[in-house]
Amino acid sequence: MSTLSVAPAKKLNNIILQDINKSYSKGDNNVVVHDKFNLAIKSGDFVAIMGPSGLGKSTLLHLMGGLDRPTSGHVEIGGQRIDELSESKLTRWRADNIGFIFQSHHLLPVLSAQGNVELPLSLTPLNKKQRQQHAANALALVGMADRAHHFPKELSGGQEQRVAIARAIVSDPQILLCDEPTGNLDRKTADEILALLKKLNNDFGKTIVMVTHDLKAAEYASRVINLEEYIALGVEAQGAQIPQEQQSILVGE
Amino acid sequence: MIKQAIALSWINFKSFPHRLVASAISILSIACVAAVMLGVLALSSGMVKTMERTGLDNTLLVMRAGAVSELQSVMFPMEVKLLSNNDQVLRDKNGQAIVSAEMFVNAEYKKSPVNAQSNTEHVTLDGESLSLRGISQNTYLFRPHFKLIAGEKFATGLRQLIIGQAIARRMPELVVGKTINLGGSQWFISGVFSDNNSVFESELWADIGTVQSDYRRGSSVQSVRLALKNNTDLTKLAQEWQADPRLNVRLILEKVFFAEQAQNLTRLIRWIGLPIAIIMALGAIVAALNTMYAAIASRSKEIATHKAIGFTPFAISMSIMSEALLLAIVGGLLGVIPLYLVFDGWTAATQNANSLSQMMFNFDISLTLIAQAMTLSIVIGLLGGILPAIKAMRMPVTVALRDS
Ligand SMILES: Nc1ncnc2c1ncn2[C@@H]1O[C@H](COP(=O)(O)OP(=O)(O)OP(=O)(O)O)[C@@H](O)[C@H]1O
Ligand SMILES: [Mg+2]
Repeated sequence: MSTLSVAPAKKLNNIILQDINKSYSKGDNNVVVHDKFNLAIKSGDFVAIMGPSGLGKSTLLHLMGGLDRPTSGHVEIGGQRIDELSESKLTRWRADNIGFIFQSHHLLPVLSAQGNVELPLSLTPLNKKQRQQHAANALALVGMADRAHHFPKELSGGQEQRVAIARAIVSDPQILLCDEPTGNLDRKTADEILALLKKLNNDFGKTIVMVTHDLKAAEYASRVINLEEYIALGVEAQGAQIPQEQQSILVGE
Repeated sequence: MIKQAIALSWINFKSFPHRLVASAISILSIACVAAVMLGVLALSSGMVKTMERTGLDNTLLVMRAGAVSELQSVMFPMEVKLLSNNDQVLRDKNGQAIVSAEMFVNAEYKKSPVNAQSNTEHVTLDGESLSLRGISQNTYLFRPHFKLIAGEKFATGLRQLIIGQAIARRMPELVVGKTINLGGSQWFISGVFSDNNSVFESELWADIGTVQSDYRRGSSVQSVRLALKNNTDLTKLAQEWQADPRLNVRLILEKVFFAEQAQNLTRLIRWIGLPIAIIMALGAIVAALNTMYAAIASRSKEIATHKAIGFTPFAISMSIMSEALLLAIVGGLLGVIPLYLVFDGWTAATQNANSLSQMMFNFDISLTLIAQAMTLSIVIGLLGGILPAIKAMRMPVTVALRDS
């Protein structure tokens, strides 16, 4: 019934950031956000990234999702160097492999929940009927089946975030990148959303990378990275932080 | 790719009503441009049509050399006779040349006071200049479309006249049976005529003899019309008459004469109208630019989200373009439709630059002209949309997502 693939993951989607430099130049100023940064995330993992503001957490998510490119270094996902893809290939790749969930949901006010969730499917060859079916499934999965025809302004913040999650998973991407997904929600609602993410990780094998400021949210993850400490460890130690089975990939490159 | 663009455009269309107020300025300015453009085109097209309807293919119009219009010309009976004797002039079954000598004057028409009965004080209103043409029986041979639509023809030898329907329409007080003050004398309106919407419908026609004596012109006329044989070589004829020391004339086909006048008039209108339309169009482009920039600025998050989801920058820019296009189409229709409903066939009076007399033209709004005005609107929309579309395409996703 569900169009979402059930665990185990259909293919391995290890995320590897290797020797990442990321800097922004504004006039004469050069802001270095990341310098010789390494990180590997195992396919099917649920990783929480924490740390003070401005440290480059969102930047990491953008790099993993191909929204941004490193100044130098490799971004390898599922064995593919996405930093080397052309802009159009990257766009296509993102549509197939990545689901984004942001702090604010960015739902389109003129579309119903169903319409919002269907939107990414217009990038697929599915026909209208199939798209409706897939969107309905995704909405059911996040517990919003009965609100399919409501518009965003008729939904609560938590419900909107659920719809945004449904939109992120509807085209069945293997990786979900969440930037403070519960930042705007109260405790109870946040817990519901986090439980939902946990379920997507457990039952459907989604790889989840979640940036959060919320210690309690981090408890849902199977691995927590405190970015400040992690960076302080330095290049060598960063490699040591990476689980054994993935170190070989990094070192082997 | 196209499918993506359609999906996004559809969303923008859906939200368009919400942005109607924000877009009002650009819609209105595009509407104004479309209306002005259509007005200019319709007026000049109406003029050309009116002028083109005037004159037969083989009618030669002869005036004094150097005369730009009939009003500036004068010809004498001797000359008329010489012209008529030429071999190239068609003859009727009695062997008479088919020739029409016509008088043409600007007659000052003074409206009678509103209250004609209590006419104690004489109130003079400002006069209006009307074209009065003195014609003969032969003149009708040159106007095959002439039709009496009310009353009857004027009686020879009396101060009676028939009026063209364009005048009758514009001056409703001129009705059959009424006597009007024309150049100081009283003239009786005996009928109204139509002539295939030609220039002549803006004239008053009376018996040439009466006009000549009323205006103390003796037996002089302004112009002569001659029916030519089909094989006539105009250049040869011109040379022949030029060589004749008794003649000093300008000859031109009547059709060409009116076509040239039409050209002069339409040129005038376009010279005035088109620069206005262009300036307004520039303004409308700026307004459209403004609206579209504001639209993408307020939707930067939305656009970034679309990019994050995997919509191509191209599809996003196309959706912006289609929105600008929608703006242009709505604006264009808003300008064109009222103009069409109100002004199609509406009569405009102009001063003929040469004769200084009134001429009436219809606004002639055709589908072609509407298409032209709409095309201009669409071009404005596209020009106003292209830069914002490029900006939306280039907008870095990360920046848009970051600032809240
Ligand atoms: N386009 C840009 N131009 C210049 N500097 C930028 C740009 N984008 C990000 N930065 C800088 O990069 C750094 C990291 O930004 P980032 O948004 O990744 O931080 P963050 O860890 O997500 O912070 P927060 O917890 O507040 O969301 C910041 O210092 C920011 O000012
Ligand atoms: Mg951030």
